[in-house]
Amino acid sequence: MTATLERPATAATVLRRTRRRRTLRAVLVTAGLAVAVAALFVFTMMVGSFRLSATEVVTSVLHLRDDPSVDFVVRGLRLPTALSALTVGLALGASGTIFQQLLRNPLASPDFVGITSGAALSAVGGIVVLQVTGLLVSGLALGGAIVAAALMYLLAWRDGASGYRFILIGIGVSVFFDGLVGYVLTRAQLFEARQAMHWLTGSVGQASNQELWLLSGALVLMLPTAVLLQRQLRALELGDDAARALGARTELARAGLLATAVVLVAFAVSAAGPIIFVALIAGPIANRLLGPATGGIVPAALTGAALLLTADLVAVHLMPTPLPTGVVTGAVGAPYLLWLLATTNRQGAGG
Amino acid sequence: MNRLRAEALTLGYDANTVVDNLDVRVLDGKVTAIVGANACGKSTLLRGLARLLQPRAGAVYLDGKTLADLRTLDVAKVLGLLPQTPIAPDGITVADLVSRGRYPHQGWFRRWTEKDHDAVSRALDATGTADLIDRPIRELSGGQRQRVWVAMALAQDTDLLLLDEPTTYLDINHQVELLRLLRKLNAESGKTIVVVMHDLNLACRFCDHIIAMSEGAIVAEGPPTEVVTAALVEKVFGLTCLVIPDPVAGTPMVVPA
Repeated sequence: MTATLERPATAATVLRRTRRRRTLRAVLVTAGLAVAVAALFVFTMMVGSFRLSATEVVTSVLHLRDDPSVDFVVRGLRLPTALSALTVGLALGASGTIFQQLLRNPLASPDFVGITSGAALSAVGGIVVLQVTGLLVSGLALGGAIVAAALMYLLAWRDGASGYRFILIGIGVSVFFDGLVGYVLTRAQLFEARQAMHWLTGSVGQASNQELWLLSGALVLMLPTAVLLQRQLRALELGDDAARALGARTELARAGLLATAVVLVAFAVSAAGPIIFVALIAGPIANRLLGPATGGIVPAALTGAALLLTADLVAVHLMPTPLPTGVVTGAVGAPYLLWLLATTNRQGAGG
Repeated sequence: MNRLRAEALTLGYDANTVVDNLDVRVLDGKVTAIVGANACGKSTLLRGLARLLQPRAGAVYLDGKTLADLRTLDVAKVLGLLPQTPIAPDGITVADLVSRGRYPHQGWFRRWTEKDHDAVSRALDATGTADLIDRPIRELSGGQRQRVWVAMALAQDTDLLLLDEPTTYLDINHQVELLRLLRKLNAESGKTIVVVMHDLNLACRFCDHIIAMSEGAIVAEGPPTEVVTAALVEKVFGLTCLVIPDPVAGTPMVVPA
């Protein structure tokens, strides 16, 4: 009798315990992030020169009670910015983690592989050369991001993938696009140059209602697609040979995942401009919370939203003068990037 | 009956043809070693047999149908392959990695079931990796890591298992340990195993059948005692040697002259 009691745990029991713990952690983390995002979402609409209570904000947003002055501040002024921070953050977080897992590299965020730069070149070109404004700028940014992504795919991905090569080519393409952006700016009149610079810094406040609708539509379609494709992503992470041996259709899965991530980031950039570093850091933060190599897309999206809502709060309310959101995310993200470069080099895991 | 065979198989990369017009039959329920000098096309042949490489000409047949006619997910339920250098995602644990072997048995919406649980548990037990379950792969020794990868391939629960140079980066002790594991899997479940390897002596000792390749062609095949001779080693590896019986098992042993 004692012999059976002292027998070491079998694989079956240990496995069950491990998986249960993992599932529980994933549920708790996702729920916790969702609550945090919801709280931040409400909170950003409470603060400002005209302070409101949480109840006032929630009832106004949900149209539960009509109070003209509150409704004007909440629905008219603050809700669009809050919605923009929420949706752009979700899109950037999801897109960033897909890129990082697909290219097996923590540096592989859409900011660094030329996609954001493509959007910037196209948008700035439109503002300066064609003198377009509003939704047309967003349309151009969207097109620029997609063209840049297609260009990257052709340049770096002819036969099979190498994450490192993709990133190096991406950095090259980014630098090229950024150079062109600089050139275009030197040709600009003062008014257009100011407009272009404002767009280039990236701000959640600049999204128009139509842009938000488009971005929300993209999220509603693409987030569930990404979650469905996560299964393929987990196979692709093991290398193309292993993924194919497991029965994954690697080229199709990769193209699908890439398209999903590109559409998300393209709509986000077109709505709010290039808000840097959110896509880079959301996935790793989510992985820290979930446990290594878990790569949950939904938690990463929620982390992106929480980061951007916080960045917007800081940019608008904690600074002496309100700043564009991109300045704050840049200030937080740049030290992280340096740390990442230093540590990945040390571990030799950069490739 | 050969569940896995190739007819007039031609394989290559870019402009190079590596394997030319080859006929191969994999013996069911046996452990087969594919041996040969570097760049003789043995890994290419294995990749071709596992549909990782599209044939230039000819075809690979699995249970009488060409691989091209089968859904890749259905192939993955019968035929597993452990590639030469699979990639472990950063920080991944043993439980997570081995569980990913269940990919072909899961669907878009049907995720983890009792069947998955049983298969992964069995794979962990068979490879002796159950006590490593919560450890990150990165922290394991080379031998442990290779056993974990084998466990992942086992979790796939296939009747045929191909392994591309699983012993190459292991020390002699872990090479023997891994080959004993493969023998055990073959003995216990009748799994058909094909392994590409370099060490001729270990191949003779642990495998039922040897396929010797040179310059993309099969030079000799059969049981080790019949196939491995001084003349063959000279022809395949360009090494002058003596072949004597292994003092422990009596299988052929190559000693450089």
